[in-house]
Amino acid sequence: MNAPSAQNIERDLTGLWLEKGDTQTQLSGIKRIYTTNLVAYASDHEDGYRVEGILGDMMQYHPGRYILVRPAADTTEAPLRYYVSGRCLSWADPEKRVCCDMVKLVAQKEVIENLYGFAFSILVPDVPVEFWWTGDLPYYSPFFENMASQLSRVWVDSSKFKDPIQSVARLAAFWNKRYPKTNLADMNWIRIQRWQALVAELFDGDWSKYLKDIKQVTIEYGEGSTPLRSLYLAAWLGAQLGWRHHQPRMNDLSKPIMFEGPKGPVEVLLKPIPAPDERADRIFAVGIVTEGEQPAIFTVARDEDPHQVIVRSEINHELAFSRVVTFEHLHSDDVLAIGLKHFEADPVWKKTLQMVGTILVHPDMSLEDKGKA
Amino acid sequence: MPSPTLLENPLRQGLSSGRVAPPCSLVIYGASGDLTARKLVPALFELYEKHLLPVSFNLIGISRSVISDGDFRAKLKEALVKSKPQITDAIWESFSQHFHYLAGGYDDFKVYQALSAKLDELDEKNGTIGNRIFYLSTPPNVFEVIISNLGAAGLAREDKGFSRIVIEKPFGHDLASAKELNVKVREVFKEHQIYRIDHYLGKETVQNFLVMRFANSIFEPIWDRRHVDHIQITASEDLGVGTRAGYYESSGILRDMFQNHLFQVMCLIAMEPPVIFEADAIRDEKLKILQAIRPFDETTVRTHAIRGQYGPGFLAGEKVPGYRQEEGVAPESTTPTYAAIKIFLDTWRWHGVPFLLRSGKRLPKRTTEAAIQFKEPPNLLFKNNMNGLSPNVLIIRIQPDEGITLKFETKVPGMSMEARTVNMDFRYGTSFAEGTSEAYERLLLDCMLGDATLFIRGDEAEAAWAALMPVLNHWETTKPEGKFPNYEAGSWGPAEADSLLERPWRHWRKV
Ligand SMILES: NC(=O)c1ccc[n+]([C@@H]2O[C@H](COP(=O)([O-])OP(=O)(O)OC[C@H]3O[C@@H](n4cnc5c(N)ncnc54)[C@H](OP(=O)(O)O)[C@@H]3O)[C@@H](O)[C@H]2O)c1
Repeated sequence: MNAPSAQNIERDLTGLWLEKGDTQTQLSGIKRIYTTNLVAYASDHEDGYRVEGILGDMMQYHPGRYILVRPAADTTEAPLRYYVSGRCLSWADPEKRVCCDMVKLVAQKEVIENLYGFAFSILVPDVPVEFWWTGDLPYYSPFFENMASQLSRVWVDSSKFKDPIQSVARLAAFWNKRYPKTNLADMNWIRIQRWQALVAELFDGDWSKYLKDIKQVTIEYGEGSTPLRSLYLAAWLGAQLGWRHHQPRMNDLSKPIMFEGPKGPVEVLLKPIPAPDERADRIFAVGIVTEGEQPAIFTVARDEDPHQVIVRSEINHELAFSRVVTFEHLHSDDVLAIGLKHFEADPVWKKTLQMVGTILVHPDMSLEDKGKA
Repeated sequence: MPSPTLLENPLRQGLSSGRVAPPCSLVIYGASGDLTARKLVPALFELYEKHLLPVSFNLIGISRSVISDGDFRAKLKEALVKSKPQITDAIWESFSQHFHYLAGGYDDFKVYQALSAKLDELDEKNGTIGNRIFYLSTPPNVFEVIISNLGAAGLAREDKGFSRIVIEKPFGHDLASAKELNVKVREVFKEHQIYRIDHYLGKETVQNFLVMRFANSIFEPIWDRRHVDHIQITASEDLGVGTRAGYYESSGILRDMFQNHLFQVMCLIAMEPPVIFEADAIRDEKLKILQAIRPFDETTVRTHAIRGQYGPGFLAGEKVPGYRQEEGVAPESTTPTYAAIKIFLDTWRWHGVPFLLRSGKRLPKRTTEAAIQFKEPPNLLFKNNMNGLSPNVLIIRIQPDEGITLKFETKVPGMSMEARTVNMDFRYGTSFAEGTSEAYERLLLDCMLGDATLFIRGDEAEAAWAALMPVLNHWETTKPEGKFPNYEAGSWGPAEADSLLERPWRHWRKV
């Protein structure tokens, strides 16, 4: 094992590709393609395996330099070790292999805290750099702090937060103040995109006139989980439709969320229903009731076939429209791959998170400072 | 009139799903045909799956075949399932719930009245707010009768919503018929309502010409006669004429490929930067290129245009018949299945730079690309050590493997000073996690949205015909000189095409 240095890592990678070029393709060699850098941090070595698997899957169709930083399994291990590996796109033409690579940095916890400079030194220049913090939101971590303040985007997965409500409230409260130049992205936001599109299409064209009459929204989610995705969907509806959250701030999402809409109060209920996988915070259905001249109900609901959803609307107690569409379940690698496609800041997500910030109880910001101290 | 957009639905704003079509009805003439089942309906299904097809959408198929709504849907389903085997009955039912079929002759006015009534009824029922698209997917001999009947039935009026007409290729058979068709269609529809399709323009890589040229600063300064030696545009097919002999015998390669596809690709490569990225600004610039094509005269019609026809040969080791042996082809046919032409553009930028365009059937493989060959470097520095440097070539591949390659020289590692050409490759499929969409998907969506950028304007169609007419006339009034058929199936075309190259360093690319 060579001493960890940027030069050694680059040299090992070059060696790796020369080798692969020889054995895998005698004809035209291989092409290394990098469209992004993704630095992922896993908080313990077990999570490290999970994350490594996800990155491996992503590399299959999204070529880039992947850097995984994870803590060593025990304190007797070397302070810092590295491993390089390559992956060629499985579907690429075998004569012209397209490949990219992963560098794994395994370090003692205290080394990790100061590893950001090293991580920066092994990035591929001139392509975007994304940072994925895979686990619970820390109160204070110099590694996180430095990555978040210097990179253009940080990914978190709020479904992995230990105290999701409190952590999301913190993100809403402090992110823009602390990292004004860095975009925050949440994988859970990507996970509800399909639901947003499904709900949105119910109000296309002539039907958009019903939006101002919305009185009640019910979002069903899997019992036993914290309904963060449902909260995001509710906040998105509120933010896009210009509702305000007036009622006292809350941290108990079993109570209705009360908004002030253009024609009076709008009640949003997050309703748990029995679900096969208790931990997954999935949305199962969205029902929207309006109270205008013509009463209407708009629904998007999962079908018995888990790969389908039914979108329908009933106006004046008559079926106005019904549609069945495919619904694919996204794995974490799909979610990230979708997210990485767009580099620009997402203003709708920003507005939604702000709305979440007005719904939830203010977090105890002194804990942030305590962490820092 | 401005098309109603979906901006009033605030929930659509900022969604990554993209531009959504407004509510509308799509009427397809010739709906019993191959294009509807194989291209149009699969493209609509893709839009449906991506939530880009509006909830309020009707499809009405019209043709002479007497079939029921149910049979019409069953036929479309059968074709769709071939490419999408995972479609469940529930999804198909839902997708096709607003598909209808009307049987009738294209010259029967009653059918247009019935259509008009049906459209009004569907507007009321499905919220399609009077927006209509009429898609002519019939052979061109019935285009005119359909258009005039649509006009007589008041279906071209835009008083409730938009009314647009999509015209499939070929747009005319020659300059005179294209002009006549333009007159006929403009008697009924205004130019902003007319969408002449060239499906090549729906291809992602073709659109990428514009991004590559005008969103990068490194290409434009060298994109001219001072740096470019010549440009080759190739569209090769390995297939023969197949079942289309009837059509092909009366059209040939120039009408089938040059007047539309190859000329459009040439325009996108050669045009000046438009002032704004808008349909008419872009089409104005393309038109200038077509108008700048140096007219063929009595000499150049012979020296700058080479025709060919395939004889029997071998493709992938298999014996294949010659064109004259194909079913439906006259035994003495002189229809060209291959053409190579040299075009000069009389513009400041391209003066003296040959554009070498070639296309043919039964060539070794199916490829479409444009190659910009730069001038040779002054070979002074390395002339003692190297036997000739290859000039740089920028290749834009349109199919099958969409992407961009730059060929350049590097030193071979070692003690000697030896250079070798290497490729720098960008491939669409590998650099973006998303595949490119089908051309018809993009074009149908653009038409619904009222974006005509990727459609041909009437004056462009005429200018393209005008440029090509001398060659067409010459070929149709004279017999080919020398041996004909003049290339074997499976070869890169007739040897005579080399005469277009003129300079010893120019070669037809083996793509
Ligand atoms: N197929 C493709 O891949 C493709 C690609 C590019 C462009 N196009 C263009 O798209 C259009 C449609 O293509 P297609 O392949 O679908 O054509 P098609 O199958 O030959 O014709 C479409 C329909 O038109 C009707 N039709 C056929 N011959 C007719 C005639 N002589 N007079 C009146 N109606 C007739 C038929 O319906 P009924 O007999 O039931 O009325 C037929 O089902 C053509 O203009 C073609 O050039 C096709």
